[in-house]
Amino acid sequence: MTPEPLTTPKAPLGAAANPTRLAVEKLCLSFGGLKAVQDFSLQLPKLCLYGLIGPNGAGKTTVFNLLTGVYQPDNGQMQIDANQLRGLQPHQITAAGIARTFQNIRLFSDLSVLDNVRLAGQLHCKNGLPTTLLRTRRFRAREAAIRERAYELLDIFEMQPLATARAGGLSYGHQRRLEIIRALATDPKVLLLDEPAAGMNPKEKLDLAKSIRAIRDRFGIAILMIDHDMGLVMDICEQITVLDHGVTIAHGPPTHIQNDAKVIAAYLGGGPVA
Amino acid sequence: MDSANAPLRRPADARSSVGPLRAAFDMLWPLAIGIGLAALLHKIVPMFSDTYTSRIVTDMGIAMILAVSLNIVNGMTGQFSIGHAGFMALGGYTAGFITYYGSLWMWGSYEKHGGLFGPGAWLFVASCIVGGLVAAGAGYVVGLPSLRLRGDYLAIVTLGFGEIMRVILQRTGKLIESAEQVRAANLADFFPPPVNGSLGFNNLPKYTNLFWAYTFLAITVIAAYRLKQSSLGRAMISIREDEIASQAMGVNVARVKVLAFVLAAFFAAMAGGLLAHESGFMLMPKDAGFQKSFDYLIMVVLGGRGSITGVMLAAALLTALPEALRGFADYRLIIYALLLIVMMLFRPQGLFGIHEIWDLWPFRRKAAGGEVKA
Repeated sequence: MTPEPLTTPKAPLGAAANPTRLAVEKLCLSFGGLKAVQDFSLQLPKLCLYGLIGPNGAGKTTVFNLLTGVYQPDNGQMQIDANQLRGLQPHQITAAGIARTFQNIRLFSDLSVLDNVRLAGQLHCKNGLPTTLLRTRRFRAREAAIRERAYELLDIFEMQPLATARAGGLSYGHQRRLEIIRALATDPKVLLLDEPAAGMNPKEKLDLAKSIRAIRDRFGIAILMIDHDMGLVMDICEQITVLDHGVTIAHGPPTHIQNDAKVIAAYLGGGPVA
Repeated sequence: MDSANAPLRRPADARSSVGPLRAAFDMLWPLAIGIGLAALLHKIVPMFSDTYTSRIVTDMGIAMILAVSLNIVNGMTGQFSIGHAGFMALGGYTAGFITYYGSLWMWGSYEKHGGLFGPGAWLFVASCIVGGLVAAGAGYVVGLPSLRLRGDYLAIVTLGFGEIMRVILQRTGKLIESAEQVRAANLADFFPPPVNGSLGFNNLPKYTNLFWAYTFLAITVIAAYRLKQSSLGRAMISIREDEIASQAMGVNVARVKVLAFVLAAFFAAMAGGLLAHESGFMLMPKDAGFQKSFDYLIMVVLGGRGSITGVMLAAALLTALPEALRGFADYRLIIYALLLIVMMLFRPQGLFGIHEIWDLWPFRRKAAGGEVKA
């Protein structure tokens, strides 16, 4: 799964060369009386690999759902390259450059691997109804381009031999990988990975860690990942945000997070240490 | 895999500078073949059989149009619609209204005017298309609830549409029966449209024949197939598979769902136009009700969701079967129902499942999906 060997473990660019891509300011969301997310703020640079962690029920996936438009925030701002995202529909947000994977795999299981990738890849290359029904030259050229790009992506991740296989019939590891490929096919600027390592063994996690870094550098995108595997997150993320009960309790580089008293309290229980 | 497919694409790219004639040919050759086949059928079937059989073959064509169009909504997009007969009836009544009053007004009689390609036939074709457009508008309205409702709830809304159509059509109305009256009538007399209420819309000119039925079928099948093998069709299928993932991948779910309803309504209404002009004594308000809708729903379920060839075969079989069972007299419908139950027990996914008939051909390498075929 590693396209090319990578030697840069941390973001290679300085702040000047790596301007903010996604800016999130004080997002809030309540379900009735439950404050699911409170004042969530985050700045993702153009090229980065950030982590979002927290105990179960901390609101991590809810943050993803806010960022991708599944939920509308009660308050706050989200911008990508100075384009306002708040109030947009999920498909518009995807078109604006935020793609995601799902915690519980959500592939189009009766479609082929190729079709899963093509579906995502057609986002920026749409055919209208008249050209589709008449099957014009332009239609054929576009479909060919979508198809070619899908094959390229599958090639990068060594999934090409499986292109005609039914997505639902793939092995678990391949399904996870296909979800990432599919998200990348939308040509994102920001990629949100929701527990990409869930259910993987240590060897697979190691491979995944390598490939996530490789994706960041090869595609030049910002990645924000949720995971419960502290080893993985501490190892590859440059910055980590910790959520507990919807509140951001810590933000900083892994070494800082590991020694943060509030984080330790959130994970291990006990009152907050003063 | 890619190298095997690359040569398929290259010629198309290389030809991209050829003239408009070639471009038109590339777009229309499947339709030309379809019309050719329809003409062939039109000539051949009457040679070997009586009018009764010809009539059943025509019915099979019309049923196939309805099943293939319903398949766009139910099979491909996964939106459970049981109001399909409502669109069919709307199209049938609209088309019938146009030909009946058009014929009276222009030619002074509601009888058939001209031959296979006579002026009356073209009025009929135009009326089917207008009926399709009217129903497409209704499809847009019915499609809107599908944005918020799923599964059973949407089914009830679509059921409601069919029943509303039925009740509106049932209102006792009148029929203007002579050319003089039509010419003397003012616009107010045509609103609400005089289509004879619960007695049924009779005396429509009989323009439907094998040629026109199968020409419209060709149009429907080509459109459905091209849709299925395109980005739009993939977007529809992705909604069926997982709506949340679909919108996360950038599919405008609202637009695609409504489009599916609009297209299905359009083709169903064309089939309604054909039915209206088939025997001249067919068009009844009850045609819009849910019982008719279920007939077509069964065809889609039996054929396999999303499989165009599957639902065509199912439509043909289910239209012919009750006729073939006529020998069993009273037991006919019981046998028919039993056969359906047995089918569902042994093939719950439908005849071909999600596949097309050629996917089941054992010697063929499995399609990579979306090869440029038609």
